Amino acid sequence: MAIFTHGNISLEVDEDGFIQDPEQWNEEVAKALATTEGVSELTESHWKVVHYLRKYFLEFGVAPMIRKLCKETGFTLKEIYELFPSGPAKGACKVAGLPKPTGCV
Amino acid sequence: MAQARINPIRVKDIGKPAEVLSPVNLQELAPLPPPFDKDDPAKLWKELAAERRQEVEASLDGVSALSLKRPSSPEEEKKLLEGFVAGLKKLLSTENNWTFLQPLTLSLEHCTHCQTCAEACPIFVGSGRNEIYRPSYRADVLRRLAARYGNGANPLKAALTGSVDLNWNTFARLAELAHRCTLCRRCTQACPIGVDNGLISHELRKLFSQELGIAAQECHRTGSMQQLKVGSSTGMPPAVVKDNIEFIDEEMSEKVGFKIETPWDKAGADVLLIHNAGEILSWPENPGAFAIMLEMAGISWTLSSDIAGYDAVNYGLWYDDFQLARVALKHAEIAKKLGVKKVVIGECGHAHKALTVIADRIFSQEYNIPRESCLTLMEDIVMSGRLKFLPERNDFPVTLHDPCNMVRAMGIVMPQRRILHKIAPRFREMTPHGVENYCCGGGSGFAIMNPNNFASWKYLVAGRVKLKQILDAFEGELDPSIPKYLCAPCSNCKGQFRDLFRAYNVFERTNLLYGGLVELIVNATEGVPEGFLEWEFH
Repeated sequence: MAIFTHGNISLEVDEDGFIQDPEQWNEEVAKALATTEGVSELTESHWKVVHYLRKYFLEFGVAPMIRKLCKETGFTLKEIYELFPSGPAKGACKVAGLPKPTGCV
Repeated sequence: MAQARINPIRVKDIGKPAEVLSPVNLQELAPLPPPFDKDDPAKLWKELAAERRQEVEASLDGVSALSLKRPSSPEEEKKLLEGFVAGLKKLLSTENNWTFLQPLTLSLEHCTHCQTCAEACPIFVGSGRNEIYRPSYRADVLRRLAARYGNGANPLKAALTGSVDLNWNTFARLAELAHRCTLCRRCTQACPIGVDNGLISHELRKLFSQELGIAAQECHRTGSMQQLKVGSSTGMPPAVVKDNIEFIDEEMSEKVGFKIETPWDKAGADVLLIHNAGEILSWPENPGAFAIMLEMAGISWTLSSDIAGYDAVNYGLWYDDFQLARVALKHAEIAKKLGVKKVVIGECGHAHKALTVIADRIFSQEYNIPRESCLTLMEDIVMSGRLKFLPERNDFPVTLHDPCNMVRAMGIVMPQRRILHKIAPRFREMTPHGVENYCCGGGSGFAIMNPNNFASWKYLVAGRVKLKQILDAFEGELDPSIPKYLCAPCSNCKGQFRDLFRAYNVFERTNLLYGGLVELIVNATEGVPEGFLEWEFH
């Protein structure tokens, strides 16, 4: 287990930088985690993706289907990769404070 | 890379002190065809940070797949080494390893070191022939350890063959080395006397998992354990999977213009279809296309919403016989409960092998429910005349990837080809193909393992020969103005292709889309509006 620090923020993360306790997430944390994903500024488009992921996760306890994410946010997968270079699972989920996706996804 | 390296490497060197026994050499990697030959491999390579190197073992090749921590005291080290010996003895005894003892013993006793296996291994060749990836290297380490520490240890034989010391270096490097093989068993097929070096990697993983609790966490903790607890290695509980399939049904209904409704838990259905649940989350057009095809062909079918009943994966196949049996028995119990005529396994290679040829060893009469590959079911549907096809809709170059578990292990070679000859006019084979195919490089769990710098090793070494083979199949047609399709009927392989293609920007540079087989079938089915296949990287 590693400790991720950024400014005043200090969080437990796994080897790949995913937050360990999703309860600790807030928008400041998202901004800090985004820096590890090569995203220097979270634009309105980034937030749209992050907030949808967050809302879905709080309701269902898992990450949504990528297709749902695209449909609900109106972004193509390519656009999501442009926003989060490591992609929806490894990039966007990390910034939204979801645990690392598991299984053959 | 500036690292201390022992050269040339010998079998007994595995236990010798060295910061890295044999690093990945970026200058020696097997060449890729143009324009990929100009790519700088250093751009894809991720060096493990010095800080991380202090925390986890990477002394084999500078890569860590397992995030293995060093023992914190001499006592802990002693306990681990003693555990290894105890596990080794179990591997070599009938009562503890009745399933695999015979092929293991034959493989340990009969290698003639002709090295035919080495050139058959895409990892050895792809790496530029790094000695430690030679299939017989790993096997020879185990042979020598078995001679010295196994049941009825033979000190004379151990001394004559060159003794290997069991110390922490040997232990840690061997655990990692068992994860530098995708269990594709191409070497096994090439061996003139049937030595199974793939099985040796498998048995080593079993030893580490079953005796010492050391396994890739993606396969064990968040893999088979989560599947048994929550219902799926993806973390989807039954309510979520139903919600997701409903979403897919809606999308498919929109696409085809008539109602598609996936049946759930239908007792007495002819077919219980079990997908790799990763398809539902990441490639929903695949289960969607299955629903369309089965409905249009009038097949009586169902999905199951029982725990593990909607996820065909069985990661235990790769590392732990107990986990394999637990999941396989769940699948059989569900089929029995529903009273279906047979189980059909979706486009997932390892699930095929786990639930058929391996589960056959543990399913007694009541659980011995007929199980079938989706490939043969699809062949029946396509060839029966129940559906009409418009092959011109698939009028683009198509090549076929042979998932190792379906093709080499199970011998399902022709059904997928007969389908493609009927529905894809520009289908061409890769070289070599069929049972001689190369692994995608993501086999045995690698497709879902990305810790530390392991992903960069997959892109540069494990997937290298496959990438070359795929590109070669489209020689002269790589220009992005020509759309082209890699048909890969296996979720695990698709995961590897997605990540590999992204690493090399394959889609942007060549317009090569990857996907399954059922999507191509539905794309060419009369009655489905044109454009089922969406030409977008996913």
